[in-house]
Amino acid sequence: MNFNEPTLDYAGLSPVIALTVGLCVVLLSAVFKPVRRSAPGLTLLVLATAAGLLIWQWGDPKDLVSGALRIDDLSVAISLIAILTAGFCVLLSIREPATEQAGLGEYHALLLGSVLGMVLLAEAQNLVTFFVAIETLSIPLYILCATNLRREGSLESGLKYLIVGSLGSATLLYGMAFLYGGTASTDFAGIATGIAHKGMLDDPLILVGIAMCAVGLAFKTSIAPFHQWTPDVYEGAPTPITSFMAVATKAAAFAVFVRFFDVALGPQVDEWQPALAVLAAVSIVVGNVGALGQDSLKRLLGYSGIAQAGYMLGGIVVASESGVSALVFYLAAYAFMNLAAFAVIIARERETPFGDDIRAMRGLGAERPLLAWPLTISMLALAGLPATAGFIGKLYLIEALVESDYTWLGVFIAIGTMISLGYYLRVVATMWMRPEGGPATTPAIAGASPEADPIDPEAGKRLYLVGPALLAAAATVFFGVIPQPLVEFAERAGSSLF
Amino acid sequence: MEEVLFFVSAIGALGGAIGVVAMRNPFYSVLALIVHLFSLAALFLLLASAFVAAAQVVVYAGAVMVLYVFVVAYVGGGGESAWEPIPGQRLLAPALAIALFVELSIAILSSALLALGTEGPEVGPGFGNPEAIGKLLLEKFLIPFEASSILLLLAAIGAIVLAGRKREETA
Repeated sequence: MNFNEPTLDYAGLSPVIALTVGLCVVLLSAVFKPVRRSAPGLTLLVLATAAGLLIWQWGDPKDLVSGALRIDDLSVAISLIAILTAGFCVLLSIREPATEQAGLGEYHALLLGSVLGMVLLAEAQNLVTFFVAIETLSIPLYILCATNLRREGSLESGLKYLIVGSLGSATLLYGMAFLYGGTASTDFAGIATGIAHKGMLDDPLILVGIAMCAVGLAFKTSIAPFHQWTPDVYEGAPTPITSFMAVATKAAAFAVFVRFFDVALGPQVDEWQPALAVLAAVSIVVGNVGALGQDSLKRLLGYSGIAQAGYMLGGIVVASESGVSALVFYLAAYAFMNLAAFAVIIARERETPFGDDIRAMRGLGAERPLLAWPLTISMLALAGLPATAGFIGKLYLIEALVESDYTWLGVFIAIGTMISLGYYLRVVATMWMRPEGGPATTPAIAGASPEADPIDPEAGKRLYLVGPALLAAAATVFFGVIPQPLVEFAERAGSSLF
Repeated sequence: MEEVLFFVSAIGALGGAIGVVAMRNPFYSVLALIVHLFSLAALFLLLASAFVAAAQVVVYAGAVMVLYVFVVAYVGGGGESAWEPIPGQRLLAPALAIALFVELSIAILSSALLALGTEGPEVGPGFGNPEAIGKLLLEKFLIPFEASSILLLLAAIGAIVLAGRKREETA
C-alpha cells in the first residue's frame, strides 16, 4: 500500500503550531524553579504570537491538510476573539485562588489547550476535526471549572458541566453518524453534495442527523431549552474562567455552528431554518425572563448569555452573508461587553465579603468610579442602548433578519431587549444609588459568601483588574460610536462563507 | 452461518442493553454492558470491520469496563434513589424518551427497510480494515489524529490537577 503524505502548509498551520508548542512550554515552565512564576507572562506571549500569526494569515483563505481545516477570514476573526478573551482571562486570573490551587503552569496550560481547541473548531470543515476540536475545547474547561476546591460550588460546577457537556457531545456525535450514514462523507462540502445529490428532502436519516447536531450545538452554545446547566456552572466556576467560558466558548461554538449549517447543510436550509428560528425565540424569552430577579451577578450574566445566544442564533437562521457578518460583529461586541462586566465582578468579589452577589455593587459609583463606569457601560451595552457596540450589533442582526423575511424574530429581539432593561438597569441603579443602611462594606451573613477565599481590600485599585475593565468598556463605546472598523472586520469574515 | 451469527450477536446486544438499564445491582449492569459490547464487536466483524471490532473489545470491553468495575466496587451501589424530586419528571421523562425512540426508529428503519433484499452499500476493497484506517489517520485525518494526542495530554494534566489537590489538603 503506497502512502501519500498530505501536503502541510506550515504558514497556514502556524497559529495552531504556536499554540501547541506554547502549551508544552507553559506546562514545562512549572517544573523549573527560576521560571516557575512566569506562566502567566509566557501564556500572554504565546497568545500574542498566535494572534500575530493569525493576522498574518488574514485575507488568504485556503484548505489545510487534505481539507481537515480551512483558514479563512471567518476562522481568523473568531480565533482572534477567542485569543483576546483568553488574554483578558490571564490578566483577571492574577491572584485568583484557583490558579494557585491548580498550579500556575497547569492552569495556564489548560487554558491554552482550550484556546487551541477553539482555533481548531473555528477552522474545522470536516466532521472528525469538528468533534475532536469541540472535545479539546471542552475537556480543559470541565477541569478549570473545578479548580477552586475551597469553594463548595466549584467542584459541583465542574461535574455538572462534565455531565451535561458529555451528553451534548454524545448527541452531536450520534447526529454526525446519521449524517455520515446518509451522505457517505465526513467533509462539509461532501455532505452538501451528498444532500443535493439525493434530493434528500425525504430522507429521515439526514433530517434526524441535522436535528441531533443542532441539539448538540445548542448545548454548547447554551440555547434554551438546553440551557439549564449554564447559570449553575457559571456561578460555581472561578470567575475568570466564567468570563472565558461565556465569551470564547460561545464564539467558537457559533463559528462551527454557522460553518456547519451554512456550508454542509446549506442545501437543506428550508428544513432547519424554522426550527432554529423557534429555538432562538425560546432562548430569548427564557433567558430574559430567567435573569429577572437573579441576585447573583454571575447567574444573571448566565441567563443574559442565554438570551444573547438567542439573538446571535438569528444570524445563523437567516443563512446569508449579512447574517454571518452580523453574528461576527455581535460576538466581538459581546466579548467586550461581558469582559468589562466580569472584570468588575472579579474586583468586587475579592474586595467585599458578598462574593458575586448584587449587594457587592452597592455604592460602587461613589466608592470606586473607575469600576462603576465600566460596569454601567457594559450593562447598558448588553441592554442595547444607543452609542454602544451592543446597539449596533442588535441593529445589524435585526436588519439581517428583516432582509430574509424573519421580521417576527427581529420583533422578538426588540421585545427581549425591553425585558432585559429590567435586570440590567437594576444593577446600574444599585451601583449609583446611595446605599440605604450604612456603608456598603458592612459584613453580613452573605448567602453567596465567597467562603474561604482570601479578601483583597485593594482589589478595586489593582491595575490588572481595572485596566481590562476600562479597556473593554472603552472598546464597547468606541465601536458603538465609530463602528466602521469592526463592521469591516465582520463583513470580511461574513463574505468568506458565501 | 452468517445469519446464525448475526442473530446470536443481535440478541446478545439487545439483551445486554436491556440488562444494563433493568438490573438493580450496578455490578450486574456493568456485566450486562460487557455482554452488549462483545456482541457489538461480533456484529462489527460480520461487517468486515476488523479494526473497529478489535478496538471495541480492547478499549471498551477491556479497559473502560475494568474502570467501571473498579468504580462500582469502590463506590458501591448505595441506597440512593435515582429519582431527584423534580416536579413532573416521572411523567415527562418517559414521554420524551419514547418520542425520541420513535423518531430514531423512523430514521433508522426508513433506510434499513429500503436496503432489504439488496447487497447493501458498495464500498471499495479494504474499506475499514486496519491498513486502510491507519492510512487514513496519517493522510486525510492527520490533524484530528494529532489533536487527539493533545486532547489526551490535556486530560492527563486535568486528572493530575484534580487528584493532586486532595493530597495537598490531607498533607
